[in-house]
Amino acid sequence: MDKGGSRPNWDSPMQFVLACVSYAVGLGNVWRFPYLCQMHGGGGFMIPYLFMLLVEGVPLFCLELAIGQKMRLGSIGAWTAISPYLGGVGLASVMASLYLCLYYNIINGWSFWYLFHSFQSELPWAECPLNANLTGPLEECEKATATQYFFYRETLNISSSIEENGGVHTGQALCLLLAWIVTYLFIVRGVKSTGKVVYFTATFPYVVLIIYLIRGVTLHGAINGVKYMFTPKMEQLANPTTWINAATQIFFSLGLGFGSLIAFASYNEYNNNFERQAVIVSFINSGTSIFASIVTFAIYGFKATVNYENCLERVRLLLLNAFNLAEDTINMDNIFEWMERLNQTHPQQFAELDLGNCDLTQELDKAVEGPGLAFIVYSEAIKNMPLSQLWSVLYFFMLLLLGMGSMLGNITAITTPLRDFKIFSSVSVEVLNGLVCLFCMLLGLGFTTTSGNYWFTMFNDYGATFSLLFVVLIEVITVSYIYGIKRFEKDIEDMIGHRPNWYWKIMWAGISPILLIALFIFYIANYIMGGTPTYMAWNKDLVRPTFFSFYNNYCIHTFYFKLVQMGISTFTQRSWKKGEMVVPPFFHH
Amino acid sequence: MSRLCVGSSHAYKVRISIKTALGNQAYVWNDNEMYLFRAAMAFALRSYHNGQEFNVSNIMVCNETPRVSFWFVVSSPENSSVLLKKGDVENAIRKSRNRINGAFLLTDQTLEFIDIPPTLAAPVMPVTPPWLIVFGVVMGAVGAGIIFLLVSSLVQSKRKKNKKTLDEDREDMRGIENGLGCDNLGGVYNTTFSDGDKFTPM
Repeated sequence: MDKGGSRPNWDSPMQFVLACVSYAVGLGNVWRFPYLCQMHGGGGFMIPYLFMLLVEGVPLFCLELAIGQKMRLGSIGAWTAISPYLGGVGLASVMASLYLCLYYNIINGWSFWYLFHSFQSELPWAECPLNANLTGPLEECEKATATQYFFYRETLNISSSIEENGGVHTGQALCLLLAWIVTYLFIVRGVKSTGKVVYFTATFPYVVLIIYLIRGVTLHGAINGVKYMFTPKMEQLANPTTWINAATQIFFSLGLGFGSLIAFASYNEYNNNFERQAVIVSFINSGTSIFASIVTFAIYGFKATVNYENCLERVRLLLLNAFNLAEDTINMDNIFEWMERLNQTHPQQFAELDLGNCDLTQELDKAVEGPGLAFIVYSEAIKNMPLSQLWSVLYFFMLLLLGMGSMLGNITAITTPLRDFKIFSSVSVEVLNGLVCLFCMLLGLGFTTTSGNYWFTMFNDYGATFSLLFVVLIEVITVSYIYGIKRFEKDIEDMIGHRPNWYWKIMWAGISPILLIALFIFYIANYIMGGTPTYMAWNKDLVRPTFFSFYNNYCIHTFYFKLVQMGISTFTQRSWKKGEMVVPPFFHH
Repeated sequence: MSRLCVGSSHAYKVRISIKTALGNQAYVWNDNEMYLFRAAMAFALRSYHNGQEFNVSNIMVCNETPRVSFWFVVSSPENSSVLLKKGDVENAIRKSRNRINGAFLLTDQTLEFIDIPPTLAAPVMPVTPPWLIVFGVVMGAVGAGIIFLLVSSLVQSKRKKNKKTLDEDREDMRGIENGLGCDNLGGVYNTTFSDGDKFTPM
């Protein structure tokens, strides 16, 4: 099955490395890692994170690259070649990639939307739109903030719950269409196109991050955020959730189990030194997470300081107006003295005032993750920067490249196994890729409806998390015990010239499977004890998120699980069909 | 006269924030400025009620504070003990708000009439939303890129097909030199050079 010359190849190993970097470095590095860092004790989180990288991330990454490079097939073909019983593992990977492709490009659509809206003299999320009487801002916008209003009302036009459905948001649909067309442009000729595109998608985000780092640390109040992040709270290390979150973050950040790494590696030269590349890419990915979180915390610090100062200004005005003092009596330096003095001299009047609580630490404690961080918190910070249009364009362009880079990997994870099937190999590359993109786009239009964001949340939280753990667990157990670590060693020696040393073998055969089993058990326990899954909904009247349950849509969740089970069950069916033991085919080069 | 002003239900409160608006170039609020305010109010009322000649004496001010806030009432020009209703005063002020603001170099937020909401400027809506224009440009560029790539692939594959048929023709021509194929030469097969015994027996 060695396709030799007829299989397309990367033009150089550098393209392959950049493709892996572009795939692994994605939105999660920007919006998930800083949140985890904040939740689990700032600088102290590095310890479990780096530990998990060495114990779980690098070995599993290298494993997938090895399989892809050896078998020179997509995930379905590769696993079928290792053992005919295991084609289901590959199918499960493809299904997970398909689920991801359906909803991930919506985020790119949002990035496009925000990017295009940055080309205005005033950013549309900077101020609330006026109400019908032109007497003041819209009520819904006034109760929330202008950035939240822009995201939930103007971008998503969100409904109150997942059951209420309106029509498709045309702007969103157009942006989704554009996102898919750009994706198609990047993969139209398969690896030949992707290989050229990744030079840009892998490197330009770093340019923007460096620019933002410089801008970020020079912002007023940024140092508060960075100090907050790096002050380690070591007591968090005793909390098992910290270690579990570090493990899951490494796992999902590297994109294991989707079949993308197998697909990318299958286009490699047979003797490519993937071992070194695996280490390089894993460390680049983690390094980017840390780098991005420094930038994020600088931005947090700036935003918190601005909010804090606005709060103090509001208090100052209230005091001036209530007690009719001259304008220059209270300023930022003596505001607290004045508050105490007025409290003593006019206690009743003071108590009646609704001053609220201006607390910088409280502002810094507001931890956000996910699209909320990227699209609400960041845009709020950007609108306060001078030359905000420029920063906005740069930022959303970076988000776009990060998202597109990850999409490349996931689409390749679908198209590569498809091309390995004989019925599709006669269809040209362009047509097959086009059909896959068209299919995903049409289904993805469902996420542009008014309740689409709730479906998106459901897919994001449940679509590809649990099953990936299972897939990678099966992968590592298969390679270590069913295929055999000795045979695997020989294959690697065949490819790169030396056997993997004791570190790799211990990880593959021992520690990584145990870790994955522990994660797996933890996830199951969480599911069982968590009860019915819930989601946060935007209540237009109260204008704050309320909790709803997903129970009506649980059937979608179980349907998805059935598909995964179907994938896994292909190997059990085969063992029933065949009367005798089937020896997995050896690979002769 | 200010007896009518104090505690009146027809009175409006005004709050002025000069330092917030003008910073270093703030002027000091004194009696002259107050006179200007009363004159501006009279002007606003004259513009609204065409015909009625309001004077500075019809505008009465009381309860001035260091904040620079005060209350004022308006008396009718015909009878100075009758006060104008709030609604009339409000409409007059709303109509001439910009002029009043301009007289003091202030804005709606720094010259506040409590309970009179300002009429904010209507947002300028361009015919095509600007985002759509950028979208169109990007979509056009990407579409052009895809069409270019697809067409060039088609052209390349056609060239390959032509090259293949050319190569096949050339293959057929091999071995037919001088128009004679090897098979048609006739002759006897010479076994001397046939390699029947590959291995020399030891």
